[in-house]
Amino acid sequence: MKLDFLDVTPNDTATRSDPVAQLALTLAKELWVLKDRQLVLEAVLTQQGIPVRELVDRWQPSAADRESIDAARKRFTAEIVAALEGPGDRR
Amino acid sequence: MDFELRQQGRAATAYMSDLAVAAARLRGKVDAELAARGLGEATLADDLDERLRQVDTALRDSRTNRALAILGEWSGTSHGRIGQAAFDEIRPDIEPRLRELQSTGPCTLEVRLGERLPSYQTRCWIHRTTGGWDGHPYQGFVHGELIHREYVSRNYPGDIFAQRREVLGTLPRQDYRRILEFGTSSGHYTMQIQKVFPQAEIWGCDLSIRMLEQAQRVANENGWAWKLFQLAAEDTGFEAASFDLVTSYIVLHEIPAAITRAQMREAFRVLRPGGDMLFTDVTPYRALDKLAVRWAEYGAVHGGEPFWREAATLDLAQAAREAGFVNVRSEGFKGAKYPWVTYGHKPAVGQQEQRA
Repeated sequence: MKLDFLDVTPNDTATRSDPVAQLALTLAKELWVLKDRQLVLEAVLTQQGIPVRELVDRWQPSAADRESIDAARKRFTAEIVAALEGPGDRR
Repeated sequence: MDFELRQQGRAATAYMSDLAVAAARLRGKVDAELAARGLGEATLADDLDERLRQVDTALRDSRTNRALAILGEWSGTSHGRIGQAAFDEIRPDIEPRLRELQSTGPCTLEVRLGERLPSYQTRCWIHRTTGGWDGHPYQGFVHGELIHREYVSRNYPGDIFAQRREVLGTLPRQDYRRILEFGTSSGHYTMQIQKVFPQAEIWGCDLSIRMLEQAQRVANENGWAWKLFQLAAEDTGFEAASFDLVTSYIVLHEIPAAITRAQMREAFRVLRPGGDMLFTDVTPYRALDKLAVRWAEYGAVHGGEPFWREAATLDLAQAAREAGFVNVRSEGFKGAKYPWVTYGHKPAVGQQEQRA
C-alpha cells in the first residue's frame, strides 16, 4: 500500500483501523446469514405444508418453557457482563 | 458459466453487495459536507498530498465520512474471504466441471514463471483480495465469476462488458490475424476480443496462474483456441514482429509506470510493421478536477491499488511515442473521462524508412 498516503490522512487511517467497527460489520454479516436462513427455513416448511412462521408467531410458552428460556437468556447475559467486566483471571 | 450458490454464500454476498451500494451513496453527502466547509476547486490545494491532508482534517468530525471509511474498509478486506467461503460451500458440486473445462478443449495454458513473480505483483494483495490473485486454488473462478456476478455487477449494473467491445470497435482494422493481450486475467476482455475479431488467433498472458486457469475454462467452454501464457508482459520472449494487435484493458493501473513503459516497448517489439497497440485504463489525473482526484486517491488506498497514482500521472502518449509508436492518441473514450484509451501504430516498413 502507499504508506505515504496513509501518513497524510491520519483521521481516515484511524477510522479504518478501528477493529471494533470491523468486528461489528462481520458479526452483522453472520446475523444476516442467520436471518436469511430462518426466512428460507420458514419458506421451505410452509411449502411442505407446515405454516411455521404463523405457528411461531402465535406460540405461547408454557410455564416450563418460559423457565427454560429465561434460564438460557440469563446465562447469555451473564456471559456478556463477564466479558465486559474483564478477564476471569483478574476477578 | 452457470452456477448456484448455497444459502450462506448467497446471503453473505448479498449483504456485502448491499452494504457497498449503500456506502456509495454516502459519497455525495461527503461532497456536500466539504462544500459546506468551503472546500472546492478554488480552495483545495494544488499539491495532492496537501489536498489529501486538507480534506482529511476537514472531515475529521464527519460521521458520514467515518461511516464511509468503516464500510469501505470492511468491504475491501472481507470480499475475498466471503467469496472464497461461498465457493467452498459449492465446491463439491462444481469442482468436477471446473476440472473438466480446464483439461478438455482447444485452449492451451503454458506456465513459464511459476512462482518467480516480479515484486510489483507480490508486494500486496491486488484489490485487497485475501491471498492475492493466486490465494485460493480456484481464485480465478471466485473472482472472475462469483465475485463478479454477486458483487461487481450489483454495484455496476448494466452490460459492463459493452465498453470493452466498443473500445475495440475504434481500431482501424478488422483483419488482425494474430492478437496478443497483456493482462488476460480470467478472460473478460479476451472474450470481447474473440467476439469482435472471431477470425483472429488470440494469445494472452498474465502473471496469475489461477486467473489464467479460469480464462482457459471460459475458452474451452466456448470452443475457443486461445493460447495462454503465464509470464510477464514486459518480457514475453515471443518472436519479434509476430502479432498484428497488442491490447490490454484496465491493467496499467495495476503495475508500476516503469513496467507500463516496458510493456509499450515489448508491444512495439512483438508487433509486425503496420500493427496496432491499444491500451485502455483509468482516467489520468490531468483530466480530472481536484476533488475527483482526491476521490481517485481515496478509492486507490481503500481498494488496494498501490500503483494508481503513478499510472494516473504517467504521460501514456509520450510513453507510446518513446516506444516507437506513431499516430499516437491518448484520450477519453467517446469524449468521456472514462475509460481512457491509448492507441499507437507501428509504422509499416516503408513508413519506418520515411521516419528514418
